[in-house]
Amino acid sequence: MPWFLHLALRQLFPPGKRFPAFATVSILGVGLGVASLLVVQTVMNGFGEEHRLRIRESFGDCQVTGAATLEQPEALAKQLTARPEVASAALYAEGPALARQGDFSGIAQVRGIDPTDPDQPARRYVHFGRFDDLDDGRIILGVGLARALRVRIGDRIEVWSPAMAERAEKGKAPLPAEFEVTAVIQTGFAEVDNAAALIPLRRFRELWNLGPRAHGLTLRLKDPADAVATAGRLSAARPGLRFRPWQDIKKDFLEAIRFEKTMLFFLMFIITLVASFSIGSTLFSAVIRRSREVGVLASLGAARWQVVALFGLQGLLIGALGTFLGFVLTWTILAFRDGILRGINTFFGDGDMVANIYQFSKVPLHYDASDFVIAAAFTLLTTAVAGLVPALWAAGRKPSEAMRDA
Amino acid sequence: MPDVVLQARGLAKVFASPAGPLPVLTEVSLEVLAGESVSIRGSSGSGKTTLLQQLGGLDQPDKGEVRILSPGAGLVAPRSSLGRGVGFVFQNYQLMPELTALENVALAARIAGTPAAAAAAAARALLAQVGLGARLEHLPAKLSGGECQRVAIARALVNRPSVILADEPTGNLDERTGAEIMDLLLGVVADRGAALVLVTHSREFAERAGRRLVLSGGVLSPA
Repeated sequence: MPWFLHLALRQLFPPGKRFPAFATVSILGVGLGVASLLVVQTVMNGFGEEHRLRIRESFGDCQVTGAATLEQPEALAKQLTARPEVASAALYAEGPALARQGDFSGIAQVRGIDPTDPDQPARRYVHFGRFDDLDDGRIILGVGLARALRVRIGDRIEVWSPAMAERAEKGKAPLPAEFEVTAVIQTGFAEVDNAAALIPLRRFRELWNLGPRAHGLTLRLKDPADAVATAGRLSAARPGLRFRPWQDIKKDFLEAIRFEKTMLFFLMFIITLVASFSIGSTLFSAVIRRSREVGVLASLGAARWQVVALFGLQGLLIGALGTFLGFVLTWTILAFRDGILRGINTFFGDGDMVANIYQFSKVPLHYDASDFVIAAAFTLLTTAVAGLVPALWAAGRKPSEAMRDA
Repeated sequence: MPDVVLQARGLAKVFASPAGPLPVLTEVSLEVLAGESVSIRGSSGSGKTTLLQQLGGLDQPDKGEVRILSPGAGLVAPRSSLGRGVGFVFQNYQLMPELTALENVALAARIAGTPAAAAAAAARALLAQVGLGARLEHLPAKLSGGECQRVAIARALVNRPSVILADEPTGNLDERTGAEIMDLLLGVVADRGAALVLVTHSREFAERAGRRLVLSGGVLSPA
């Protein structure tokens, strides 16, 4: 080990002191800065990923609609599935309805689905009951809607579709459709959980008087990331239809998330920068305090670059250890994120903000290696510069002055 | 005839002061031979420390030049022979507070380019020679003033320099310890064949050097 590294380590961690004040406070400062940066970035990535996944699961990789309802949706689905970029195509039909159980009622967003489809996304979100029991007399409800209607598995509810109002207008008795609740889903996406009602497509068509028509198709693509380009090609091939890639469906929302992430990165980076500046100022006073030692090192024959290395390395070591601590803190905070958030919500009495505002039941996260690399690189750079400035000042002094001024 | 190990010619140094330029050294010339001991006395502010810093390369003279014998390199400018051709002993010991006695001495050898193991071995031997064989792992804070100065002497000698420049080495010590340190310094320096330039207030210690000089009015003259 070079002597200046040995001395730098000894000056940072003097023997006999378990928590030397300067090193401990500096490393903690950098660690907290890095952790703030990474926690925010990782959670923001999580939000982005969750939203992207939910959007794809709810609307497909690409949504196909026409100027009106699709007249021959099965045939269209077959044609589109034949294209090399399309993995599968499913018909969908959806619309609002009034759901009622006894004295309780709610607005349901009813969706007609194919219960035999093994890739049906709702299968993954069954919270109670069984998806495979879904048939013409049964319904699957979102957990929020089930709560609003005070129903459990096996209870019965009435569904009033807009088509029933048409019947009433024509003087016919509008009888509601009755369903037995067979399953409750919880996607964590409050918009879905509070309104979703899934019934077989065949039954939906009956209740909405759709006949063989459908509201649209959802396509699963072989490469969902390439949905924009694929939608462009499909649109060119079928000019009468509208192909909407998943990135387009909630474009503003996804843009907002990306912008929010970028802004938060800069805000959080300022924290790391402030920590680095405080290291710089503390290191400066340490260098001034050690002026005499700088003179002594010169009298022992230390080269200028070695004195620079001695103090510069202290900044870099603080940066490296602070970054490592920041990684550990990030992992720890994120591992206990839901408990921490519950504590914050309880303390401030704000309720479950994640569910209410951000529409997730858990704080989502997505580790992105590039965030960690960027955070480490920025931190090491700023702490190295913070250490280098006083180091250059110290090394530039005349040994005789350094020894006299101390 | 012994080799010249230190050669200073026409040294002059002027400091700026609120009252105007303050000449500290006006015309100082000095030659020190191998194994010789030279004492320089002078009143406070006479420029003794300034002279020592010019001789050792810690500061540049305004005029004149200094040459020091560096092992294997001949007479060179003192700045390039720091740590190898010249060793310093300071009044306040100037040890690194975070390093043990052994590490303080070994540090000087490491800076001079000696590998870690050889530096530690040399430091251990020198500390034993100055009577600190049992205190190798002690930090300076755990050593007495006399012990610290013994470590500083060992540090100055570890690279076998041709000249030791000692600036008031007994200034912070009581009379008895000061006398012990002087004995040690003169003995060890002679034992290693190095020359000694000793700056001191004390007439008694100055008398023990082979050659005695006085610095007054910026000029060196025999005592």
